[in-house]
Amino acid sequence: MFLTNKTEAWFFWVFFPLALLAPLFLEQNEFYVSKITTVVILAIFVMSLDYLIGRCGMVTLGHSMFYGLGGYLFVMLAPEYETVNFWVYTFYICVIAAAIALIVGVVVLRTSGIYMIMITLAIAQMCFYFFSDSIHWGGNDGLFIYIKPETSIFGLSFFDLDNVTHFYYFCLLSLFNCLVFFRMVLRSRFGRVMDAIRENPQRTTALGYNIFLFRLASYAMASALGAYAGYLFALQYGYVNPSMLSWQLSGTALVMSILGGMGTIYGAIMGTLVYEGLHYSLEHLTEHWLLLMGIFIIALVMLFKSGIAGFLESLLEKRS
Amino acid sequence: MDLAIFLVQLLNGLQYGLLLFLIASGLTLVFGVMGILNLAHGSMYMVGAYLAWYFFQGTESFLFSAVISAVIALMLGVLIERTLICRMYKRNHLDQVLLTIGMIFVFNALQSLLWGNDPLGVDVPDALSGSLHLTGVVEYPVYRIFVALFCVAIAAALYFVINRTRLGMLIRAGESNREMVECLGVDISRLYTIVFGAGVMLATIAGVVAAPMASIVPGMGEHVLISCFVVVVIGGMGSIKGALVGALLVGVVDTFASVVVPDVASMIVYILMAVILLIKPQGLFSN
Amino acid sequence: MSHDIVLETEALCKYWGGIKALDNMNLAFRANSLHGIVGPNGAGKSTLLNLLCGTYEPTSGRILHNGEAIDSIKPYEFARRGIGRGFQKTNIYPSATCLENCCIAAQRRIGGNFNIFRWRHNDQLLKEIADEALQRVGLGSRRDTVAAKISYGEQRQLEIAMVLATAPSVLLLDEPMAGMGHEESQLIIDLLKNLKSDYCIVLVEHDMDAVFELSDQLTVMVNGQHLVTGTVDEVRDDVRVKEAYLGQGDEVF
Repeated sequence: MFLTNKTEAWFFWVFFPLALLAPLFLEQNEFYVSKITTVVILAIFVMSLDYLIGRCGMVTLGHSMFYGLGGYLFVMLAPEYETVNFWVYTFYICVIAAAIALIVGVVVLRTSGIYMIMITLAIAQMCFYFFSDSIHWGGNDGLFIYIKPETSIFGLSFFDLDNVTHFYYFCLLSLFNCLVFFRMVLRSRFGRVMDAIRENPQRTTALGYNIFLFRLASYAMASALGAYAGYLFALQYGYVNPSMLSWQLSGTALVMSILGGMGTIYGAIMGTLVYEGLHYSLEHLTEHWLLLMGIFIIALVMLFKSGIAGFLESLLEKRS
Repeated sequence: MDLAIFLVQLLNGLQYGLLLFLIASGLTLVFGVMGILNLAHGSMYMVGAYLAWYFFQGTESFLFSAVISAVIALMLGVLIERTLICRMYKRNHLDQVLLTIGMIFVFNALQSLLWGNDPLGVDVPDALSGSLHLTGVVEYPVYRIFVALFCVAIAAALYFVINRTRLGMLIRAGESNREMVECLGVDISRLYTIVFGAGVMLATIAGVVAAPMASIVPGMGEHVLISCFVVVVIGGMGSIKGALVGALLVGVVDTFASVVVPDVASMIVYILMAVILLIKPQGLFSN
Repeated sequence: MSHDIVLETEALCKYWGGIKALDNMNLAFRANSLHGIVGPNGAGKSTLLNLLCGTYEPTSGRILHNGEAIDSIKPYEFARRGIGRGFQKTNIYPSATCLENCCIAAQRRIGGNFNIFRWRHNDQLLKEIADEALQRVGLGSRRDTVAAKISYGEQRQLEIAMVLATAPSVLLLDEPMAGMGHEESQLIIDLLKNLKSDYCIVLVEHDMDAVFELSDQLTVMVNGQHLVTGTVDEVRDDVRVKEAYLGQGDEVF
């Protein structure tokens, strides 16, 4: 079993069955299915950030750059009025995002701590302005995706991107794969080195590891997944715009990740769910939901440091 | 570009740079002395501009609104430090980032609650409303020159306080060795409160003097925050001198970029930053 | 048993601004022996060690490992060449078990570090190496204890075990007995006695009795300068050494 502890197993067996059944309850209302699809996509993004910050110790405030790039890369690469293959473009986008991350990483990973926070933020802003100022790529309004890709593999098509329920299940599967992927990475030898680097970089260097390369590899990996999430988001709504690259998104994802329990990976899903749920209900409660959200975040930092996963673990793991 | 336009742009650049310095100096001071990264620093700039507008509406006196805004800002800074920031000294950067993001949310919400989301404007004070003739045809607004001189005066005052006074000595000591200061029997928490209050006040004053030059819009704080980040990253975190050099560099480069290469102008300063970081990862004036 | 020169410094200097932390150091460290380095506080002992393992870059001069100049290689390459390092302050992975600590060390050599598909706890060879290192320093019984929960002395032993697990030829140890009680120190002394026949050990240590007991060669440093190098007896009888120590009023032996 790839799950690390009882809490994660518990979460796993509650969340995924419920998520699988969710469209049955919401069948009447496509709006809600598409809403939870967005949450699932966001959870992929938050998970990649959680890995980067919680497991690799690289605090970035520019992760939304890759989310946005995932969407924009598709618009830039795909011919406007032609149907393209989903898988081929998934591959392109992940590879290009990873390549960009490698280049950006060379600058970013020379620094650490507070510098890294500020530099990732500034580079993401550079990217934001590139797209929001450029007339060619739609400026502030962004661009539409007129024709969604088809999803056949060797002529066999399993699902339709235009079908809300199909798309939901596909995103859920992606989230599941992501979780399994990160679990696998973390229990591998590579994960051992990443754990070592997070806990004691100086020692790890002295043992002969080139920690820069390991960090760079992790950065590229998480960035590619972040871009994948952005790609899914763009496909869901059929457009891209600069707000996908905004620093507010990075900040919000950070809040979700901490709310869920930093570094737990599965906590990212809980954090995203709770935050989005709260956001949704506050938004309906009052026009000034931002105020309540801000107060909630401040209270979170002050009182609830280990997040939901940490709280659940303190309840469930005591006996061991 | 002829000489006259060049001169005007240079003045614009320097003036913008000096304004950036005013904001960035607070950010870098707070980080240098207290080790706190205050993402809500830009919000203070926004608060300054809105306060100036608010009091200007009531009193029609720019000087009065400036003074009262600064006083309110100082009190706000002290309040925030005493209630929230003081719990963050032993926490990691991530928590500081999160807390200050929450503060940004709160300030943005309050701004929209109190003053709405429409763009606002403040008139240039009468005494400073004219223009100076630089050459035969080129004019330059007096108010912008006033802002530049005002920023220079603040910079000079900062230099004086930090290098010539007892408070400044403590600030310098606090930057290099925190425990030392405490061992000397100084109440470090009071020093922190003063520094944070001063930092907030610097940003707010910048917002006040910028109010007659720019339209007052939601989100102005975040925009300026990011520019300030570039400034302090280039100059070196915690260094006031670095902030001055970085701010002037960013101001001039940004201004000329928008004339010479308007298409990619907003990216140029970030590219500049990346290049400087490649050469000096800790910024130009790091300790 | 061969006593070839493994590690050598030629006119090695390290300046911090105008301060000469280390000036014109010419030393040779031989295989299968223990080279002690002593000196009063601020003599530049730790600086020397930091230069030898690549943490600092020398201002000028050369470091030779098996005759090759290595002063311009990256810090992590020192460990790959077999130059292992123990720190002055305990430097381990406190949240991992002792075995895992050594596994991290051993894995670098075994490979597969970028392999994300290979389960980390699934390699007999890795565990054998790690176990052997733990046995060697006498921590076999602590194998599965979390490193944060063992005693301070044991943590120092663990640190040596981690270095051993990287299969070094040179061991650079920075005050491994600092802050230890007499019995714990004795454990380390016995361990080093046992190790010095197999490795080239460079030992910086304040505990004079220990250094005198262990060293084959001994170097005394004062103010970043080399004062004298010789056998223990030669050093003990050297007039300059007595002057240096008495003049400092620091430690007298």
